[in-house]
Amino acid sequence: MTLDGTYEFPAPRAKVWAALLDPAVLGRTLPGCDKLEAIGPGEYRAIVKVGVAAVKGTFEGKVKLADLEPPTRYRMSLEGSGGPGFVRGEASLELADVPGGTRVSYRADVQVGGLIAGVGQRMLGGVARMMLEQFFTRIATEIGAAA
Amino acid sequence: MATPQHSGWIGKRVKRLEDPRLLTGRGTFMDDVTLPNLHHAAILRSPHAHARIARVDASEALRLPGIRGVLLPDDVARMSRPFGVGTTVPVKYYPTAVGKVRFVGEPVAVVVAKSRYLAEDAAELIRVEYEPLPVVTDPERATEPGAPLLHEEIGSNVANHRLLQYGDIERAFREADRIVRTGRLVFPKYSSTPMEGYGVIASFDAASALLTVWSNFHGPFVMHPLVARSLKLPENKLRFICPTDNGGSFGLKTSIFPYLALIGLAAMKIGVPVKWIEDRQEHLLASSSGTDRVSYLEGAFTKEGVLLGVRMKIYDNVGGYIRSPEPACLYRPAGNYVGPYAFRHLEMDCHAVHTNKSLTGPNRGYGCQQLYFGLERLMDLGARELGIDPAELRRKNLIPTEAMPYTTPTGGIYDSGDYPQALEKALALANYPALREEQRRARAAGRLFGIGVVCCVDPSVSNMGYVTVGIDPEVRKRSDYQAKSGAAETAVVRVDPMGNVTAVISTVPHGQGHETTTAQIVATELGLDPEDVTVVADFDSFTHIWSVATGTYSSRFSSITASAFAMAARQVRDKLCAVVGHHLGVLPEDLVVAGGRIFVGGDPDRGVPLKQAAGMAHWNPLALPKGMEPGLQAMYTFHFPTAQPPDEQDRVDSSNTYGFIAEVVAVEVDPETGKVEIKAYVTVHDAGTIINPMIVEGQIYGGALHGIGGALYEELAYGEDGQFLARTFMDYLVPGATEAPRLVIDHVVSPSPFTTLGSKGLGESSAMTAPAALANAVADALGVHVDTLPLKPERVWRWVRQARGTR
Repeated sequence: MTLDGTYEFPAPRAKVWAALLDPAVLGRTLPGCDKLEAIGPGEYRAIVKVGVAAVKGTFEGKVKLADLEPPTRYRMSLEGSGGPGFVRGEASLELADVPGGTRVSYRADVQVGGLIAGVGQRMLGGVARMMLEQFFTRIATEIGAAA
Repeated sequence: MATPQHSGWIGKRVKRLEDPRLLTGRGTFMDDVTLPNLHHAAILRSPHAHARIARVDASEALRLPGIRGVLLPDDVARMSRPFGVGTTVPVKYYPTAVGKVRFVGEPVAVVVAKSRYLAEDAAELIRVEYEPLPVVTDPERATEPGAPLLHEEIGSNVANHRLLQYGDIERAFREADRIVRTGRLVFPKYSSTPMEGYGVIASFDAASALLTVWSNFHGPFVMHPLVARSLKLPENKLRFICPTDNGGSFGLKTSIFPYLALIGLAAMKIGVPVKWIEDRQEHLLASSSGTDRVSYLEGAFTKEGVLLGVRMKIYDNVGGYIRSPEPACLYRPAGNYVGPYAFRHLEMDCHAVHTNKSLTGPNRGYGCQQLYFGLERLMDLGARELGIDPAELRRKNLIPTEAMPYTTPTGGIYDSGDYPQALEKALALANYPALREEQRRARAAGRLFGIGVVCCVDPSVSNMGYVTVGIDPEVRKRSDYQAKSGAAETAVVRVDPMGNVTAVISTVPHGQGHETTTAQIVATELGLDPEDVTVVADFDSFTHIWSVATGTYSSRFSSITASAFAMAARQVRDKLCAVVGHHLGVLPEDLVVAGGRIFVGGDPDRGVPLKQAAGMAHWNPLALPKGMEPGLQAMYTFHFPTAQPPDEQDRVDSSNTYGFIAEVVAVEVDPETGKVEIKAYVTVHDAGTIINPMIVEGQIYGGALHGIGGALYEELAYGEDGQFLARTFMDYLVPGATEAPRLVIDHVVSPSPFTTLGSKGLGESSAMTAPAALANAVADALGVHVDTLPLKPERVWRWVRQARGTR
């Protein structure tokens, strides 16, 4: 599954960059995130509760950041597994100045397996997009509150 | 009930004796079975299609209260041996993954707990580290160089390959006026979705080293030695018990045997009786399914439309592990590869291939729907290319009635049948010329109306030897090779001291009404009513008489079991006559058994009631004729002398009786939505003598609906990443009553000379024809080559667009 899109923040690039890479902010803004902790430079351990259609469950996994070019782009790989199956993915994010703020463009290739793929396949894309939207909106709120 | 006619109860619409208990909810199914101290299993399954197992950690799961233990891959590898399979490749198939997982849903571990809820919760806490590997799901692609390799020990994904040649195929193609090619045909992976899924209870008695396994398995009981060997148990220390009722199988529950071993191992390791009831998701994901097939056919036709020879190249997709009885999908129809046609030259290039999909096995029609989809598409393409009507082309090629019994080039012995009459009957019932006229009118009005005609041979009672066609004849020649053949079934009929009759069947029926038909047969022979006969339909391998071929599969009851019961009941009747003749001082052959009495023919007053005769045999053995055994029972094992092992030229009579099906189907396709509507469905069968027409009609309806499911709706779909996409009935579309067309059913009766009553099997019936019939009808409606099933709207809609672009 490939997901791509953009989101515009009414905030300067450095601020958006900082928020996107702050484990405390991520822990508060990732939908369903129970816990997020740094386990090394650019590496986090996360516990996330996700529900797709009738399938709900907890994923435990790792997020790793790479090729960081502050405050312009970075790559992120994630892998998680749990009762509902597994998720693996690679994403690239790019930040650019736009009038009035920052545009984040993302592109992710995600593989989903197990129960969540077998039951929720037709809903997966929609759910993923909805979660991303939630995530970015919450980040925007965080940045707004901090300002 | 009325006095039986001379043919007794054979051919009567006797209501099923099973139904009162089933319709009032009093059946006994697997989940009704319980034991003291019973514990419950949950199975942890792989979410990956192909991955190395780096680590399994169950410590957290074991800490949950109520958990009695876990069975992990290391336990399975230590405690058991890989299952045997009828190929020579060194495939290591255990009841759980060992080292690697090879399909989504493959069992990895079992948790045993006080309740299923606890077990499921604990299973989620088992941590398995997987290292994902590349995936392949297409069987043809899996044979190509560079494809991901599933079994390193084998070195290739080909689990079985045979090139079978019959007649002079080169000559047939040389002499042909036209070579017709199907191109790549894809037959989908689908299933049967019985109401009751798999269910197992295993209990191990350590003191006597005896494992007892209750399950809804139904044979062939060759799986009993297979499981015993895998568990390192002598066969007489493994007891199989099956309850009276089984909520459907259609062949799928043959493939429950790995779970008998799996739950058996859990019970042996953990030391408590363990129950596992499969849920619907597990069933769709990892029970068993029909085999999906890629095939290429070439037909050598004369310009008059006579088929001289056929070449087939087949890639059967057996999933992650070839599991017994596979590669049988390739060879089950070996004797009837040519279908109902008279051509004598055939080449079969057969491959069974490992891919990252779930495992396959018998599914109503096993091997035949796949075969006839290819053969009947080839016939239609031939008709189209040669400008001959499809019905006429089949007429030209059918085996003539006077050729019966007919030996096919592949060794099948078609016992009886009137194929031309059956086809003419189907065409007449469908009013074929009027259908063609309707098609002309529809086309003129821009509507898409099509007609499909198919003919097929419907084999029954598999000869256990056919599977060994998959083994090289050089291997079969070795002195240490155990030749395999046969299809025995044993009937037991007992009359108790009060004259009541009990028939013990070992078939383990799963919805076919064997209690009713057995009672009809025994009652006929003993001059009673079916209600007078109690039929024992549960099964216990310690007390029932059985052998490797025992069970219900390959439509064998009406052919072989019916014969065995008629013979056993005749032996009881003969003994009754001998006892009574001795008592009355008359010759046994002068006696008649009817209406619950044994009396002198023409002098009904001179006789005794059955009750009195049975009493003599049981209560006063010394009054019996000299040398006669006391008691009144008979056991008869029926066997076909034609059930030989394959010969050196790979010829084998793969089944013991062969019926025939002719079908005419009309469809209309909605060009806007791609929806296929069945307008007419005529099905004519020749299954020899019919024992119970009502049960036969039920089987034909069920078979047709199964085939329609595969043709139009059902597919166990996978993504290219090997993820399984049809885990619930939301995505696996099963036709219901509203999708069932009204069938026009009729029969031609050509009694089998090989069975006691002239009857043959018919349980799989139209499941093997409907996919081909609908494919032909839709191809006829659209004017395109239908090369892939199911005919889902999206696919049909694309064909409609393609046809419009090219027309």
